Amino acid sequence: MSDTTTMRPELTEAALEAAPPGRLKDDPILITFGMLKTFGGIRAVDIDHLEIERGTITAIIGPNGAGKTTLFNLLTGFDRPDRGSWRLDGRSLGGQPPHRIARLGMVRTFQLTKSLSRLTVLENMAVAAQTQRGERLERALLRWLWQPEEGRVRERAEALLERFGLAHMVDEQAGTLSGGQRKLLEMARALMADPTLVMLDEPTAGVNPALTESLLEHIRELNAEGVTIVFVEHNMDVVMDISDWVVVMAQGRILTEGPPQDVVANEEVIDAYLGRPRDPADGEDAEDA
Amino acid sequence: MEFDVIFGNAARAGLGPQAAIFALAAIGLNLHFGYAGLLNFGQVGFMMLGAYGTAIMVATWGGSLWLGIPFGLGLCVAFALALGIPTLRLRSDYFAITTIAAAEILRLLIRSSPATDITGGPFGLQAIANSFFDLNFLPDGRFGWGTFSYSSNQLWVMIVAWILVVLCSALVLALIRSPWGRVVRAIREDEDAVLSLGKNTVAYKLQALVIGGVIGGLAGVIDALQQSGVGSENFEPQVTFFAWAALILGGLATTVGPVVGAVLFWFLREGVESFIRELSEQGWLPDILADFLDGAEGAISIALMGVGLVALMALRPQGIFGRRRDLHLGT
Repeated sequence: MSDTTTMRPELTEAALEAAPPGRLKDDPILITFGMLKTFGGIRAVDIDHLEIERGTITAIIGPNGAGKTTLFNLLTGFDRPDRGSWRLDGRSLGGQPPHRIARLGMVRTFQLTKSLSRLTVLENMAVAAQTQRGERLERALLRWLWQPEEGRVRERAEALLERFGLAHMVDEQAGTLSGGQRKLLEMARALMADPTLVMLDEPTAGVNPALTESLLEHIRELNAEGVTIVFVEHNMDVVMDISDWVVVMAQGRILTEGPPQDVVANEEVIDAYLGRPRDPADGEDAEDA
Repeated sequence: MEFDVIFGNAARAGLGPQAAIFALAAIGLNLHFGYAGLLNFGQVGFMMLGAYGTAIMVATWGGSLWLGIPFGLGLCVAFALALGIPTLRLRSDYFAITTIAAAEILRLLIRSSPATDITGGPFGLQAIANSFFDLNFLPDGRFGWGTFSYSSNQLWVMIVAWILVVLCSALVLALIRSPWGRVVRAIREDEDAVLSLGKNTVAYKLQALVIGGVIGGLAGVIDALQQSGVGSENFEPQVTFFAWAALILGGLATTVGPVVGAVLFWFLREGVESFIRELSEQGWLPDILADFLDGAEGAISIALMGVGLVALMALRPQGIFGRRRDLHLGT
């Protein structure tokens, strides 16, 4: 499809060593190489090399317009890079459509929550279950072929909803949920798809402090179960609280990366993003490129 | 004022084959828009292909009607794929524009002079439904009484048409309640969310387009059978919008909505027309208005239906069977 075969540099050891910023990880689940996306003359994303360590919680921070969401869109197939290659668990994802990337185990959420309003909460969850026989048109009318599977899907969905405190809403239409509940539902729904890597785009934007705490708890639990998590976040308290690793982006490039304590002490990061007299209003800003 | 005549005419139209044909077209549209969120403004194109495919096989190529009907429906599948494959990846507006243009281009092609040898051009094709009426097991003679008096063949068409309406409604209901239908309804709500959950949304939209289009094609087949012929003047763009009106009147994303909507649409349309005609015949209208209306009863009736639809949108935007709450939840 795209030109990834011709443009992709071989991911040999030597090539990785030679790569500028972007530190090597012991056991990377996601490796990105030479990713470029331009909008007109603007280099929205221009990343030479980025690795995400398996089983960690990685935060991506940076000022508005730094290219964080664009990077998410590129990695999950919702947008196409001008060039670049990336691999999930060794499988090349370049040129793959978003649904196939999701099936391979990288599932994302969106900055503006996307609940399926006129479907019930349970249906929202059921849609996310993978490889359902009844989802094939040729079997849709043969109820006996998918009826047992529906039961299992429902059981799993209810267990997840229970965990996310949405069990009492099972048969409500998702459009009737509050903003915070929708965030929870979206996260539960992403899990229903059995991901190995979850990409959360501003999971706590517009969520009240108590609910934020519970969202973070869910993220930690998930991570403890072995799911790798990458998230974009503006709230530095959240970032400091749960991330193992922080990647700082500015103007499409990776400024620096490292453990959270190191990153916040970095002069460049303070200049580009955090600001010198720390401004608490910074985290409120929900707008991003 | 003969209200029984007005009501009789209206009821006859509401039960007649035209209502069944529009019910089928609306059932297809309901799958397209009500469930899958596809704005199809070219439903008449599918009807036309169903009708002409059948008629061409019989009248032009001398084939069997039973070959002609699948041929017509096959053309609908091809039309759906040709429409959908290039446009369903784009935003829904592009798809909507394409459908209305494609259906009208198709109609102009069919009535163009180079196509006359195959389609009959402006004259259409006739005498195609003999094998269909050979199957009529009803005895000869007339059935019913008064306004509701039908010939054996008329009744036969109506029975077959309404059975098809029931079957197609049941088919759509069963599909939409399956996991397949759940994905389709999810796409209507937010396609990106469904993509992010690993579903190939374009394939689902294409499947919904094909099925709804074939149901529309079936409407065209019945139309060809009931007149035992086809003519391109029966497939102008307003046919699509009458089907839309029926669907919206009955209620989107409901099972009975498109059917009741179509019945009511024809009932009201014929009822208002009869009422106006009756008014002028009784001399109850001022001369100036009567002169103006003379011969334009049909047009006035449609204009009044339009006003009625506007009122419906203001007072009951969800249609007769729709759920009001769904409108507020819409994305």
